[in-house]
Amino acid sequence: MRLRIDIFEGSRIALYSLRVNRLRTVLTTAGIGIGVATLLAIIGIIQGLNTSFANQMATIGSSSLYISKFPWVIKGDWWQYRNRKDFTLDQLETVRAQSTYATALAPIAWRIADVGFLSEQVSLVNIMGTRAEYLSVTGWELGSGRFLNETDDENRRSVAVVGMDVVDRLFPNSDPLGATIRVDNRPFRVVGILSRRGKILGDSQDMRVVVPFRTFWSYFGKRRGFSIGVGIARPQDIDAAEDQLVGILRRARNTPPGKPDDFSINRPEQLAATYRQLTGALYGVAIGIGLITLLVGGIGIMNIMLVSVRERTREIGIRRALGARKRTIVLQFLMEAAVVSGIGGLGGTLVGLFGAKLVSEITPLAAVVDPLTVVGGVSFAALVGLLFGIWPAARAANLDPVEALRYE
Amino acid sequence: MLINLTNITRFYQMGAEEVRALRGVSFAVNRGEWVAIVGQSGSGKSTLMNVIGCLDTPTSGQYQLNGRDVSRLPDDELADIRNREIGFIFQTFQLLPRDTALANVELPLVYRGLSAKDRHARARLALEKVQLADRMKHRPNELSGGQRQRVAIARALVTEPSLLLADEPTGNLDSATGEEIIRLFEQLHRAGHTICLVTHEPKLAARCPRAIRLRDGEIVADGPGEQVAMNGAAPRLGQVLSAS
Repeated sequence: MRLRIDIFEGSRIALYSLRVNRLRTVLTTAGIGIGVATLLAIIGIIQGLNTSFANQMATIGSSSLYISKFPWVIKGDWWQYRNRKDFTLDQLETVRAQSTYATALAPIAWRIADVGFLSEQVSLVNIMGTRAEYLSVTGWELGSGRFLNETDDENRRSVAVVGMDVVDRLFPNSDPLGATIRVDNRPFRVVGILSRRGKILGDSQDMRVVVPFRTFWSYFGKRRGFSIGVGIARPQDIDAAEDQLVGILRRARNTPPGKPDDFSINRPEQLAATYRQLTGALYGVAIGIGLITLLVGGIGIMNIMLVSVRERTREIGIRRALGARKRTIVLQFLMEAAVVSGIGGLGGTLVGLFGAKLVSEITPLAAVVDPLTVVGGVSFAALVGLLFGIWPAARAANLDPVEALRYE
Repeated sequence: MLINLTNITRFYQMGAEEVRALRGVSFAVNRGEWVAIVGQSGSGKSTLMNVIGCLDTPTSGQYQLNGRDVSRLPDDELADIRNREIGFIFQTFQLLPRDTALANVELPLVYRGLSAKDRHARARLALEKVQLADRMKHRPNELSGGQRQRVAIARALVTEPSLLLADEPTGNLDSATGEEIIRLFEQLHRAGHTICLVTHEPKLAARCPRAIRLRDGEIVADGPGEQVAMNGAAPRLGQVLSAS
């Protein structure tokens, strides 16, 4: 009963004095607001990054392995991997024959080239040479038309399946299916279109043209070698599948016992782990900066509350003489600090969300804006206010009423 | 007996020096009495007022207010006693400058936990008692000194306290307005209120039925106001009277 009155009266007094000291309120509020805004914008952007990355990882396929000369995450000197022997199609067939986990196998070779149609030209397109099983290994989906088939590969046909970015650039107004495009100045007939996959870390996955593996070899040479994509039926088998693959490959490639593997088996999760490592540190630093800003705001609140206590010494004396308990005075000033900070938090939240949204509009970073953050932002700011209001409030309550009444 | 002080002392530490503001003060006040406490500055009358008003606690001695020993109570209980038993009237009015007269009068009722409706009703009544019904919505800076003091008196009356404790209530007023306030006190006295009035003005003390004179923290005279006010060394009749 008594507490309810104390809180109610405390808030009433707090709101009143905030209204009276409008400029001061605005300035103090700004301090905490900037802190909250910074923190929220950072969290929003990071959440956005994480979400888009998680989505991308999900589409790469969590149940596939990629056998290649280079590990995706290079530890140490990269040139030590260069001298590894290239894979052969025989090795691929050996894996197909011996692995009990692999359900799909596709050679994957790639290079960067220009792609054109009539007068249009696109540079820096990923040209992938692969086979029909590519889709089930990687989890890519076909938008329309058909994908490459066995005959395309055996007959080295000049057919291509194109990504959506290529479609957007070369065929703004016409249907690409059946059209003949130039890939590195060689004609290819478009037979299919991949559905859009979006960006991974700002890097578009849809700027690609997929052609039959043997066609790729005969046009672009075997110099670069290729990787082998392995599709596994059940994600939980992936560790066993990898162990098995190591054995099969070592035998197929005649790796002497005691020598390290002369190949790398990569998983999409490796990328995820690296990503997390990278962003984790960034996350920490960014949030640290946000918290420091908030701390500065909190000190601002404390400062203004101390001024407020001093200014209202006489008022405190009067209230104490008329029967206000210490607790009532404490609550009055705590409420004031919490309300100032809460208002700052609200403003900061809106600015922060707007900032995150702006970032996602003008940069490739996609920010996630969760309306619940508003509640979080306001309560967090209010909490900061409460925390930094404790000391000034305690000072106010511990004033000697006799001295306070005499204060000029 | 409303107030019973027995051998009250109050010592302060002021730097290295010990100030003995009260050195063994004993007296009693009955319900309905109007007592002036007089003395020069430094005589200890302000300290005495703070002790009587439960704003301060004595170093030693016993203080009974309305039958309860309040000399060594925890802070929260002292706050409640101030709220229920004592109506303060200060020289400088001590009104909250941003609140209206009505809100100022309501304030002690807020701390008593009354509903807004009850507070309004009682505060209005108290302001009517001091003839300020038409100034309720004014803030202190829109009121004259006399009006401000009447608001303060209304605030003191609104809780229906056992004791009105006034500290130089006319000190900041011109003589005509001061006279007005003293008449109000006389009226309140006739209505049965118990009043303790601290003053250094002999003229004011002379109009009180009883006065106590302090000097250097001790009572040097206690008797009819007129006598104590004019003659600083009157015998301590008060004790005899109140004991009877």
